[in-house]
Amino acid sequence: MTAISTAPPLRRRLPLELIGGWEVGLLAFMVLLYVAGVFINPKFFGQADAFSAILRDAARFGVMAAGMTFVIVNKDLDLSVGSTFGLVATVFSLAFSQSYYDLGVWPSLIAAILAGLAVGLINGFFVTVLRVPSFITTLTMLFIGRGLVLGLTGGKTVSYSEKAASQAAWFVQIGETNALGFNNQILIFILVTIVGMVVLAKTRWGYETYATGGNELAATYAGIPTRRVRMRGYVLSALAATLAGLMSVAQDKGITSQYGQGAELIVIAAVIVGGASILGGRGRLLGGALGAILVTLIDKVLREGIPMTRTVKVGNIDMQVQGMAQLPPGAVPAFLGLILLLSVLIEPWIIRRNVFPRLFARMTGRPLPPIIEVGGVAIEGAQTKGSSASDRSMRARGPIGRFLSRRDAAAILLAIALWCVGLYLRPDFWGSIDNSFNLMLSFTEVGLLSIGMTYVIANGDIDLSVGSVLALSAATCAFLMKQLGFDPATAVFIALVAGAAAGLVNALLTVGFGLPAFVATLGMFYMARGIGAWLTAGRQLSSFPEVFNLLGRKLIDALTYFGIAPAKGTLVYDVAAALSVQTIFMVVVAIIAGVVLGKTPFGQMIYATGGNRRAAEYAGISTGRVRAISLVFSALCAACAGVIYVAFLRSFNPSAGQLRELDAIAAVIIGGGSIFGGYGTVLGALAGAAVIALIRALLSLQLILGNGQSFVMPQHWVNVFIGLILMVAVVGDVWIRQGDLIGSIRRRLAARRAIHPHAAS
Amino acid sequence: MSDRNSAPLLIEMRNISKAFGPVQALRNINLTLAPGEILGLVGDNSAGKSTLMKVMTGAYQRDSGEVLVDGRETHFKSPHESREGGIEMIYQDFALCGNMDIAQNIFLGRWPRKGLFVDRKRMYAEADEVLKRLKVDVNSVFQKVESLSGGRQQSVAIARAISFNPRVVVLDEPTANLSVMATERLLETMAELKRHGVAQIIISHRLTDIFEVGDRIMVMKRGQNVGDRYIAHTDEAEVLELIVSGTPETALTADQALAARAA
Repeated sequence: MTAISTAPPLRRRLPLELIGGWEVGLLAFMVLLYVAGVFINPKFFGQADAFSAILRDAARFGVMAAGMTFVIVNKDLDLSVGSTFGLVATVFSLAFSQSYYDLGVWPSLIAAILAGLAVGLINGFFVTVLRVPSFITTLTMLFIGRGLVLGLTGGKTVSYSEKAASQAAWFVQIGETNALGFNNQILIFILVTIVGMVVLAKTRWGYETYATGGNELAATYAGIPTRRVRMRGYVLSALAATLAGLMSVAQDKGITSQYGQGAELIVIAAVIVGGASILGGRGRLLGGALGAILVTLIDKVLREGIPMTRTVKVGNIDMQVQGMAQLPPGAVPAFLGLILLLSVLIEPWIIRRNVFPRLFARMTGRPLPPIIEVGGVAIEGAQTKGSSASDRSMRARGPIGRFLSRRDAAAILLAIALWCVGLYLRPDFWGSIDNSFNLMLSFTEVGLLSIGMTYVIANGDIDLSVGSVLALSAATCAFLMKQLGFDPATAVFIALVAGAAAGLVNALLTVGFGLPAFVATLGMFYMARGIGAWLTAGRQLSSFPEVFNLLGRKLIDALTYFGIAPAKGTLVYDVAAALSVQTIFMVVVAIIAGVVLGKTPFGQMIYATGGNRRAAEYAGISTGRVRAISLVFSALCAACAGVIYVAFLRSFNPSAGQLRELDAIAAVIIGGGSIFGGYGTVLGALAGAAVIALIRALLSLQLILGNGQSFVMPQHWVNVFIGLILMVAVVGDVWIRQGDLIGSIRRRLAARRAIHPHAAS
Repeated sequence: MSDRNSAPLLIEMRNISKAFGPVQALRNINLTLAPGEILGLVGDNSAGKSTLMKVMTGAYQRDSGEVLVDGRETHFKSPHESREGGIEMIYQDFALCGNMDIAQNIFLGRWPRKGLFVDRKRMYAEADEVLKRLKVDVNSVFQKVESLSGGRQQSVAIARAISFNPRVVVLDEPTANLSVMATERLLETMAELKRHGVAQIIISHRLTDIFEVGDRIMVMKRGQNVGDRYIAHTDEAEVLELIVSGTPETALTADQALAARAA
């Protein structure tokens, strides 16, 4: 009693900060959705333990969402959680399994946790210390992790249920139902959520996180170690993914090589649905947890399908057939991507605009609450650029010096050097017509994507969806010709329209709704591939009209088809035999795009927009139009690549264009583009694409070893390597091209020499 | 001195008011600017200086009052329209694209073209000419703007502004980020502009700069005009006095103050 009387009486209770109206709304929505699920599919949702099963599956995503909340509130993004989840599970399984290292449960656990911790630290190091944008870092980590999982497991399934049951009974208990009748994973989920909620809402760690996400500069001025805070977010996220991975392993007592694929989509969607802002500084952990349950529920509804009765005519008798209307595999991400995009729009367009309070006030006739300031600039964040870069081209002397001072010089030289390496390794094979032809083909695909990507990156945006748009257009084209019997010209036209439509959606979201380009195109990354998989229902489509296949053939085949082939043995014949139609197409596109970017006012507008959008706006440039055109052009290039892909392979494979976004971004950055916008040339991008194509070819080269055996690097490891190259390219761009690292080292050395003249000698 | 009243005013703003929600940023404020005159606009933070300029250029729309250019009433909807009326604004952060070179920045958004392509020869020649006219020395028009110092970037921003052949240039805190040397050079540039007959409005916290090149100084406080003086007939102490304790009731126009002083 005395304690109460001494404390000054508070006028009102302190805000709880753990839960808000948003979470209550989510709960209500979830109940509605579950009831709807029971109505639509009583077989699944009507069962008593279905609820428990959903919570169990949501538990893993919920744990990951807890870590992700810290990252997103920090104004960062972690796309690598799915891969971390898979990698941790793989490391544990390989260490524990009898067929691999056969370690005890503790060493295996430690190895797994170390692997997770390493991912978190690497992510944090690249984002905070090396200043690589978070989406690029973690996207690369996503692909590297995926490559590692595939490479380490060799694509095989690992299982050890007997050993786990006998030697690690307590660990397996994590995945079992406990005495209270529910799965232990749910218990872990609740514990993690409560601890995380309190940490984020009630401790300094949490307050530091909100300050860093709200205004990093202000937080730094206030003495908050923002680098450490952001690093902490990544480590927490990776550790949460580690925990989730171990929970999963404990339940399944084994892994497949597909472990954790696409988990990042569910986790990010969960956190955003839970009310966090992708623009940082807002979000509660409980929201993320509820979001995880909601998204898992949606995922389940989509995957379980709707039972329905179809009437099939057999002879003259109508038969009632019970079946499930189910989404084909791979189509679910289309919906999850859509949910991600819609929920990202909620924060700036509904919450900040006070839509519901205003609606309520209008109905009750009270004065409208004001709109919270929501300028386009506020959404996209101020562009900050170092102006310390020295202008090396001003110091260059002579034609060689002038060439070396070009931003794309390194890529051109590197491409030549790599070609020479190939010639040195396999002189018998490298220079042959066959190999050159194959090199040109892989170069064409990357090149076509990187031309469009150059426009987008020079603008200061990014397009993560090119690989998926390639798949979408390829699927559309194959589906129309094969299933609906369209003629090739119409099919190609509609496929290009589909690609352009995807680009238009990207443009609408980035320019119209003011989302950061990486979020909008990340949504499209999942949606386009999902729609493609839906169209083809996961089937492999093949055998198209020959006139269509000509798009992917050699020039001589096309000429022969039209009956105008030159005589064999002439020079024209040889040239036509070495060139393929697609390469010619790519070169034509490259020349037009290069001239437009380099020589016309429109190209200048792109560079101005990428350099300083506000200044460009003041100068009367319609930056929105410029950015929209670039995004649509990029998608159109990807769509062309998709059509060519189908024509060349004579079939459509659902994995078309996977990882291609990585190749294209790497090509542009290697070729002198800057991830922060304002730089990039088509020539440089083509040189970068050549570097990527050459590296891929070199890495998959069959090497003849000294003992007569041969060695080929598996494709998974090649992908890991490409990811590493992208990171090196971005770090090199940020530190060497923009920051003039070499110059400052030289100056520092010179200064030291001046102070200690004897030390240098 | 009597011809000051008879000379046609270039810009006249009468009884301008502007509110942002509950905040009254400007209240019935008047501003005049004669051709070729340099007017200093001073006052505390949140006195409404930038708002007044944005109302003039059309970046903000006024709630009431009128803006007259050459005695004709105008309704600029955006800075692009006021630019056509000969009013040019230079922003505090210069609004330049660091990744492009000086000439490309001077012609930002209106690069000369020959057919479909940018006429680079003409662009660099004309940029060179503008810089010479302004007597700014930069190494070359091919230099990237991000490699320039703050003062040189300022020069590029001014060169860009005068390449539109404006009659009024508004400079928002032009000396805020400049070194002493660069400030000197900027003041020379402003004097040079004045010789070309370009009127200027400087928003600044630094009275010394205004006293060095200015013709007239206007003091604002909480969105109101609290005094107006000719530089030649006042000193920094009087202006500081106005900034600290001036009220709209005691506000005199420059001519009234001059008459009072003469009396």
